[in-house]
Amino acid sequence: MIFYATQRFVLSVVIVMVAVSILTLMLHVVPGDPAVMILGPRATPELIEQTRVAMGLDQPLPVQIVTFFGNILRGDLGQDVFTGRAVSQIVFEQLPYTLILITVSILWAAVLGIALGCYSALRRNTWLDTLTGVISVGTISIPAFVMALYSVLVFAVWLRWLPAIGAGEGFWDGVTHLILPSFAIGVSWVGYVARIVRASMLEVMGQPHVRMARAYGLPDGWITRSHILKIAVQPAVTLIGTGVAHLFSAAVFVEVIFARPGIGALIVQAVNERNYPIVLGAVLVTTGIIVLATLISDLVIAWIDPRQREEL
Amino acid sequence: MTEQTIAANPGIGRRAFLRGATATGLAAATLPLGSRIWAQSGKVLRVSSYADIDALDPGFYQNGYNVDVMNCIYSKLVRYVPGREWDWELEAAEEIEQVDDTHIRFKLRPGIMFTGGYGEMTAEDVKFSFERVLEHDSPVKSDWGPLDHVEVTGTYEGTIVLKEPFQPLWSITLPYGTGHIVSKKAVMEATESGGNFGMEPPAYSGPYILKEWKPNQYVHLVRNPEWTGEAPGFDEIRILPMDDTKTAERAYEAGDLDYTEITLSSLAQYRGNVPAETVIEEYPSLYYVWLGMNLDNPALGDENLRKAIQYAINAEQIIDAAYFGEAAPATGLIAPGLPGHRETPSVPVAGDLDKAREYLEAAGGPPSEPLTIDALNATVWKTMAEVIQAQLAQIGIQTQINVQDSGSFWTLGMESEGARWKDMQLVLNRFSMLPDPYYATSWFVTDQVGVWNWERFSSEEFDALHQQALSEADAEARAEMYRKMQELMEASGAYKFITHEGTPVMYREGLEPALRPDGRPLFIDFKGDV
Repeated sequence: MIFYATQRFVLSVVIVMVAVSILTLMLHVVPGDPAVMILGPRATPELIEQTRVAMGLDQPLPVQIVTFFGNILRGDLGQDVFTGRAVSQIVFEQLPYTLILITVSILWAAVLGIALGCYSALRRNTWLDTLTGVISVGTISIPAFVMALYSVLVFAVWLRWLPAIGAGEGFWDGVTHLILPSFAIGVSWVGYVARIVRASMLEVMGQPHVRMARAYGLPDGWITRSHILKIAVQPAVTLIGTGVAHLFSAAVFVEVIFARPGIGALIVQAVNERNYPIVLGAVLVTTGIIVLATLISDLVIAWIDPRQREEL
Repeated sequence: MTEQTIAANPGIGRRAFLRGATATGLAAATLPLGSRIWAQSGKVLRVSSYADIDALDPGFYQNGYNVDVMNCIYSKLVRYVPGREWDWELEAAEEIEQVDDTHIRFKLRPGIMFTGGYGEMTAEDVKFSFERVLEHDSPVKSDWGPLDHVEVTGTYEGTIVLKEPFQPLWSITLPYGTGHIVSKKAVMEATESGGNFGMEPPAYSGPYILKEWKPNQYVHLVRNPEWTGEAPGFDEIRILPMDDTKTAERAYEAGDLDYTEITLSSLAQYRGNVPAETVIEEYPSLYYVWLGMNLDNPALGDENLRKAIQYAINAEQIIDAAYFGEAAPATGLIAPGLPGHRETPSVPVAGDLDKAREYLEAAGGPPSEPLTIDALNATVWKTMAEVIQAQLAQIGIQTQINVQDSGSFWTLGMESEGARWKDMQLVLNRFSMLPDPYYATSWFVTDQVGVWNWERFSSEEFDALHQQALSEADAEARAEMYRKMQELMEASGAYKFITHEGTPVMYREGLEPALRPDGRPLFIDFKGDV
């Protein structure tokens, strides 16, 4: 298990480095000059050139990439070209908002998805199964930004139950500001999780150890929890782990629609402004998180399933 | 100006929902941010801004959204008067007068205090604030034009000395960004060299101070306890950055904002269904939108072809499609209300298809290859490009639309960014400006070819007029120069002016917003109840 975890960790570091290098290349291939964006239209060409040199943009691309990774090892992600603030400070200021948003979205997806999938599997081929199937496919079909727009219109503008914008201040205020955006992201995953849990449960329900448990007269609820669901949720855990990247993408739209702070909105703004240090710093951190999430989901599955644990 | 109000719309409002909520904690939590602050702190103004602040040093500012905050936290000698006509009034100055073409004498109002124990504002602070813009080679040093120095003649008195006359001083320098006065002592302590202090003002001199800035969340201004002038209208101002104006509209409707700009595309809808207790107003804008043609591109080398394009484009149709008919058509660069605005352009706003065909025939027919139209990748630009594409197709000119993100688009015609400018043909462009015609024409002089003059328009007469107009004291003669410059631009065939857009805003009944003639907010002067 330790060897497996170490192997995966090294692979994760390589993935992050490759991703950031590719991004750096892409940033330099697309047109746009950060010095012009920073200094505005009235700057003199001399001042623009001085700024380029100060930012290291006059260096060859490989040198810029090596310098970037060298700075990372020293814990320095650079400075925001507009405000002069440390990129690490800006990124880690915004990151918690996105992480909380994604975590709560996953909770929506997991709680509702597993419950619906379970319910559907236990009542297969009934009208309730059909109804949950329709709901599941329906939620899959609705993009997060559409859900976000309509949830604002209904719950914030029309009913005025929940706030429309921002992240709030303090715990309870933060919770109310989180409900709509997290639901908008999480609801489309409810369908995925529900369909996977249902299919997986139906498969596990037919396996010998479940039949054996029933033959012993064990209570249905206990069989479902201990012998069926424990195995059936594994594909859902994998799905959610690999889905973190998609959740980050969805968070971009939702953060813009709800005017929420967060890393998604930060990256979009930085790309438009050609604010290279912010783009690189933010993508480095998000790639790291996505890779880490995948790693954790693999390790969790290995931990849940004794058969996989033994194979490692 | 139009105003519309409507009574509150009863329904299941927040209070009704809260009555039904069983948990007290939930009830407290479900009050939106602004409502809770209102309860805690008295008069709070909640407004939106189209971007988050990124520069608070007036000597090195960029962009109007930073100046919106600077207006509240620093003082200037003079400031814009809110209203429908451009004018200025005294702010930190007790007296100010133009002694001759190059000397402006001022006397500060005694008793304006800098926060943090940095003492009273003096003429030394004025000298320091203005001269540092040049000394530190600020990217906005052109705002100060030919400033030579500021002569201090007393504790409160001084004279601004220019190397040559500079008319925009009164319209865009003194009442705007670089006109703000900072504390010499505080800035020298904070920066050692007197350079850019970035996002951490070392001292304030306006009616508000910056209590907190949460990036991408809000700017929180509160009353300056050391302010000795007239009390501002609100105890606190919360400025919430929202890149997307539609988001601000929804936030306003949800009760999270008291004032916001709205999009032209929403204006018609709001007119027909005004939100509860809301006033909607429309202001003209200083923006100018035009279709530019690259004079150095071989495909557009024939003047007759360019004129055919000018005459084939119907700006009214474009405005109907892209702005739902709510924007004002442009007659040139300079918006109504500013010196040099033209009542009618040389090329009719609606174009003239017969004339376009005549010019095209003189050019020997349409180009063999489709022309490209570069535009930003937002709906309004794509729509405009599509309408232009259809209009040009009417006379047989085929086009291809290239949409680009803002980072890529805004370097399209720059020679410093490679050879892309050579391939650029037609480009849909939009510049903003400050309330002086010099600001608009300065981008189209020969020196700007390959920088911001993407059409590569070059005219000795234009350049000479631009230079003369800077120092022309006679307002009508100066306006005539700018009208002539726009004629020259149009005569080159490189420009088809489309629109100045517009600035619609909405706010709560009871609020008395203070807006510049172009609809930009002057939060410092907002009053009333919300």
